[in-house]
Amino acid sequence: MQPRKVLVVDDSKLMHKMYEVMLRQYALVYASDGRQALDRLQEHADIDLVLLDINMPNMNGLEFLAQLRSDGSRSELPVIIISTEGREEDTARGLEAGATAYIKKPFHSEEIIEVISRLDVKGSAA
Amino acid sequence: MPKMRLDSGAAGQELIAELRSTLERAGELIRVVEANLQDKPESRDDAASSDERIGELERRLATAESDVKELASRLVDSEHQGGRLMNLYVATYQLHATLDPAEVQATIAEIAINLLGAEQFVLLLRRDEGEGCEIALFEGMYDGVVPPFDVETYTGGDPMVDVTLRDGVLRLGPTAESKALAAVPLRVQNEIVGVLVLLKLLDHKPILRAEDRDLLDLLSAHAASALFAARLFATKDRKLRTLESLVKLARGE
Repeated sequence: MQPRKVLVVDDSKLMHKMYEVMLRQYALVYASDGRQALDRLQEHADIDLVLLDINMPNMNGLEFLAQLRSDGSRSELPVIIISTEGREEDTARGLEAGATAYIKKPFHSEEIIEVISRLDVKGSAA
Repeated sequence: MPKMRLDSGAAGQELIAELRSTLERAGELIRVVEANLQDKPESRDDAASSDERIGELERRLATAESDVKELASRLVDSEHQGGRLMNLYVATYQLHATLDPAEVQATIAEIAINLLGAEQFVLLLRRDEGEGCEIALFEGMYDGVVPPFDVETYTGGDPMVDVTLRDGVLRLGPTAESKALAAVPLRVQNEIVGVLVLLKLLDHKPILRAEDRDLLDLLSAHAASALFAARLFATKDRKLRTLESLVKLARGE
């Protein structure tokens, strides 16, 4: 099943606007750091996909991901990391932390659309 | 707009899938016809006529296959073009979405990092009074600003930047005299009010691509006017508040 409600976690307003334009077919919820993202997940139980930046104030993306994966009720929620951190070790660290997919910024919109279209909201990219 | 792009993209994909399926069916049909012809004893006339039909079908099949390839290639191009337009739209929208100078500067930085893939850059803005440019913004220099931008007021030092500040022409580097990858003039009407200097890209973005040129042109045309409008508004707002305070004081409020 395709995701319907997507949590965008990025401290850039530009990126919020980008996702708003690019992902009009989904309901979007926004957060500017990891802490806000945890709050949004409490408020919106029907979020079924997270797009996650890494470099953010207060709580970064990897810290958020660690908390999310330790939460039994949300441990299977698909998370796509979208970050400027593009070294191989960054990608490996993100995937080891529990990300479903890793996309480097700057990206082409087709990349994200394609990864989302292959997602199974119960778990991982098909 | 992007939604249309996505919808037309999906429709295009469906069309290509349908064409592929039709081609497969046509191929199967040809194979069946060929098998039947081999099974049946035929007169010489029948055989010649069948060969002609098979030849015609094969020509049509080849044409259809070529059309599908062409269509798929155009679809990829149009998706790519849609993505470029989306980047330009979002960048323009966000530059003009605020009248807070700090937010406009933050947007310039976000465009440089997230859309251009810049790791190190500086934003130079001409001082209202006096000579030279202030270093309004720098990014990605964790050990301090790199020379010749490691000054409070930049008065020159990078030949590519200096000539761009004079003539307002966007330049791409690096050159023999300059390490800068791009010097993007910031223009308000015909006046050059500053320059954005890209010094290093992210490791996974080895070069500026052709599509990045559109974004650099956009920054050149829109960043300065957005910044100028925001600064003007901030100044007027501050003056208005001062006047209001004076009026209140005069009234004894």
